[in-house]
Amino acid sequence: MTRGHIDRENPDRLYTITGGRSRADADVFDLVTLVIAECDPSPGMQSEHAAILRFCRSARAVVEIAAHLRLPISVVRILLCDLLDAGRIIVRQPARSAPRHSPVELPYAHPELLREVLVGLRRL
Amino acid sequence: MPRVLEPTRGRADTFPAGASTPAGASTRRQPVLGANRTVLLSALLVVAVAALCAVAAAPSSARVPVGVAVLVGLAAAAVIAVLAIRQADGTARLVARLAALDALTERRAAGLAQLADDTLPKIVAHLRDGVSAEEAMAGGPSPTDPAEQRILRTLAEEVGRGERMRAAAMAACANAAGRVQALATSMLADLRDMEDRHSEEVLGDLLRMDHSVSQTGRLADSIAVLTGARSGRRWTKPIVMESILRGALGRISAYQRVRLHSTSTAAVAGYAAEGVMHALAELMDNATSFSPPSEEVHVYVEEVQAGLVVTIEDGGLVMGPAALRRAERAVSAASLDLTTLSGTRLGLAVVGVLARKYGLTVSFRPSSRGGTGVIVIIPRQLITQPRPDGAPLPGVHAAAAPGAVAGARGGRQAAPEQPDEPAALPSRAAAHPPGTPEPLPKRGRGETLAGAARAAALATSLDGPPAGADGRPAAPTVSPGARFGAFQQSRARVRSGETGPTGAAGQQPAGATDSDATGATGGAEAINATDSGEAAP
Repeated sequence: MTRGHIDRENPDRLYTITGGRSRADADVFDLVTLVIAECDPSPGMQSEHAAILRFCRSARAVVEIAAHLRLPISVVRILLCDLLDAGRIIVRQPARSAPRHSPVELPYAHPELLREVLVGLRRL
Repeated sequence: MPRVLEPTRGRADTFPAGASTPAGASTRRQPVLGANRTVLLSALLVVAVAALCAVAAAPSSARVPVGVAVLVGLAAAAVIAVLAIRQADGTARLVARLAALDALTERRAAGLAQLADDTLPKIVAHLRDGVSAEEAMAGGPSPTDPAEQRILRTLAEEVGRGERMRAAAMAACANAAGRVQALATSMLADLRDMEDRHSEEVLGDLLRMDHSVSQTGRLADSIAVLTGARSGRRWTKPIVMESILRGALGRISAYQRVRLHSTSTAAVAGYAAEGVMHALAELMDNATSFSPPSEEVHVYVEEVQAGLVVTIEDGGLVMGPAALRRAERAVSAASLDLTTLSGTRLGLAVVGVLARKYGLTVSFRPSSRGGTGVIVIIPRQLITQPRPDGAPLPGVHAAAAPGAVAGARGGRQAAPEQPDEPAALPSRAAAHPPGTPEPLPKRGRGETLAGAARAAALATSLDGPPAGADGRPAAPTVSPGARFGAFQQSRARVRSGETGPTGAAGQQPAGATDSDATGATGGAEAINATDSGEAAP
């Protein structure tokens, strides 16, 4: 364990972040479940919850949230379960997400558009 | 003379007669003795002359019996006078001896008083400073009496040995505590690493071990604090209050019974953070262990002019006035007195040491919840306010370029990263009053280059399966679209015949708008970068 690793640490231990839980109550979240914040963070909120709400103003996958917070996925799942129970986030399974015109969908990912981009590039 | 003699008579019988009489005292008494004798002799002479006169004046018939009577009387008087003179002589000698003894006693008492009041404290103070017994004896004033010298030597040796034992025991404890601290710190870092690496199945076990190691660390910290060693670790950055409270919480056994109520965004300076955390942990531990397991302990944080006020309230036993006073004394005493440690309850002594070290004010009062309330004031000079752009989460504010992190962990995460940046910017700006200057921007000069690096990462990951693994249209292709946002924007404008870029963007869904805005600024650089680097798709 390098010294630098220790220096980057924070005093919070994971069990204080999850309140002693090590497993999420509901099995709603897998790695790519998309999460969208329903409201803004309120003062006095646990900082991880607030950070998730800020980060998820647009749809985010659970793995992204974990990377952003630098927390293990299981801990993020517990935090997301809390937020879901409080009705502060909505969850969208990517497999079931609407194929078109949803805010989650990314319009420039169509093959046709990509082809046009390629053409444009070649002209450069 | 009466001043000297009066007390002597009172104590005369307590002194042995054989004590030596100093010469000075006897010569001082001699003229008095001689005067007494002269008076007695002259009185006897006068009486003898008077008697002879009486014999001469008596009629001749009575002269013989009178003469005999006078002679007998004179002889008796002479005998009495001699006896009286000898008696007076003995008494005077006794008085002189008593006076001499008295002076000696006084000198001895003065010597003893000096030994007790001056010499001994000085030598003990020297010994406490770590000087050896011999040096302390040589350095301090030495008594003249050999017996006193022996007493002093024995005492100095005993105190010196005790002091050396104490110092050795303290050093051993401090050393052991320091090692346990180092072990605990590295174990905690290892555990955190494992918690990241391993799956959910072992997380519960790892967290339990983490909790045990944290408590071990606190115990080692307590011993280190009491033995005067340094605290466990230094934080190189200010620690926000939430982390301070949770750091304290993580070190006590019944942490799940503690409820934190804090809206403070203030942070505690790095050098004091560990001490503050430790003190709060000890107080929280007290609160949880002296209240029934069904009761919760509530912790409130309030910002005041003097600094930060942390209130820890339990609903347990009410401390009586005597216990309150004892607790107050423990946390506010001038210096740590190891003799007051009870062996089992070290908490308040530790809090006292830490409070003195960092200028914390700790006070106790009956709690509004029925138990005891502890109020800790963290002074203002230990408090720093975080940067005004919020993000008090310690793990997050370091991630100034989250894309870099995400990019390092996998190309797929980098893709949706892009649209968020501009979306976050307006809200961040809105959070500020218009008058105040914008804080240091999150998107620094290297940001576009980082974007280019992400593009490179994407280019390499495009061949891999992640592109369409979850059934979505290939996500990584989004990012190249964003890269060439400028191109796309102009294309859209041409196609729709719109006049302004905003109009064109308005037709796009939200995500595209954001990426366009980004692309407009960073497009050219990105193109250059991708041209020179890996091939663009």
